[in-house]
Amino acid sequence: MSHAASEVVTTDAMLVSAIRAGDQGAMAQLYDRYSGVVYSVALRVLGETGAAEDILQEVFMQLWRSPDVFDANRGSLPGWLAVIARNRAIDALRKRRPEDEISEVVVSVEPDLVQSVEWNRALEKIRGAMGNMPVPQRSALEMSFFQGLTHQEIAEKTGEPLGTIKTRIRAGLLALRKACSR
Amino acid sequence: MNAHEQFADDLALYALGTLQGDERAVLEAHLNGCAECRGELERLRGDSALLAFSVSGPRPPSRSRSRLMEAVAREPRRQEIRETKAERSRWRTWFSAFEWAGAAAALIVVLLLVRQNDQLQRQLSQARGTSASQEAQLQQAKQLVDSLTSPDAVRYVLVAGKTPPQPQGKAIYVAKSGTLVFLANNLPALPPQKVYELWLIPSSGAPIPAGLFRPNAQGSAAVVKPQLPVGVEAKTFAITVEPEAGSAAPTSQPIMVGTQG
Repeated sequence: MSHAASEVVTTDAMLVSAIRAGDQGAMAQLYDRYSGVVYSVALRVLGETGAAEDILQEVFMQLWRSPDVFDANRGSLPGWLAVIARNRAIDALRKRRPEDEISEVVVSVEPDLVQSVEWNRALEKIRGAMGNMPVPQRSALEMSFFQGLTHQEIAEKTGEPLGTIKTRIRAGLLALRKACSR
Repeated sequence: MNAHEQFADDLALYALGTLQGDERAVLEAHLNGCAECRGELERLRGDSALLAFSVSGPRPPSRSRSRLMEAVAREPRRQEIRETKAERSRWRTWFSAFEWAGAAAALIVVLLLVRQNDQLQRQLSQARGTSASQEAQLQQAKQLVDSLTSPDAVRYVLVAGKTPPQPQGKAIYVAKSGTLVFLANNLPALPPQKVYELWLIPSSGAPIPAGLFRPNAQGSAAVVKPQLPVGVEAKTFAITVEPEAGSAAPTSQPIMVGTQG
């Protein structure tokens, strides 16, 4: 995914407005912009390319059918797509019906990294923060995010107290936020 | 420790969709009344998106793009589909019914949650008592919304004579759970010491009382979740005018009778 400022002439909000008007070209542009994020997270969760492609299709078709579910004034589109893709992939992994109402999912990414010229540096920071995290903390965070495990399930796997698992997961998320705000 | 700190760890789990059971119900009740925690929830979701961004993997295969764009081309946007006049009319009728039902459900949910929040605050000040009653109320609200949106919900439209403005009633009924929501408008004012009574007319047997109501000054009224036996198949619904205490069986001719819509 490339995010040089010159390539982001058309904002996400403009593209979503065009999709609302039925513009298929706008849909293609958004796909080219964010399919990598959506596919990568789905593949990481599901570990199988066919299933990840299905999630990719589902997430973008959802945007095509109901562009109003994303409110550009309330959050970041790539953040929203990534979180919805992850949630749908976890639903598929755990063979359950979708639990969240996507119109209620608001994702705030501050600053809006993906459309920033600083994207590559931000990505380095995120990966650096993950690398610097204590292993038990990173492990708890990854089990929760990429496997959809509850803190009880993680506690059973690791033998750690429930409260410790909870605290580690939150601290891990805050560490990522802090790394990107610097 | 204030309420926000108390919920801080659970909020992170909720953002990841992994908080379950009582802890989830209690947090959702708190979120309904706490803009600060809702804001933090959005930020935590953003933090989790960073985790998603950190994943590096192969690009999706080119066939995925073709597959998507073919599906997009096959599925024109809703506003591009030309609706016939009849279809538009039907859509408006249904929209109106759902709008009413949605508004009623939202009001009930808000009232339940406000009540629940008050109880929760008291509980917190008493070092967190049981949350069973809040859970029950949430379940009640959820059951009501589920009923309104259930594919098993049968909708009845009740109409009167041709004199404008035409009285109209809508009943949404789920037989297997005995759940009924009834909404009406343009009803004529009642004589003194009289009340409207709603009746469930079963497929066989005597009419079953389904709630008493009086319209407001605008002629609108609602009956939400009256006591009804479970599993009774309704042939239709009807309204009569009864003495103000209500009747066990209709004492007058129905002024409105339902047709299943």
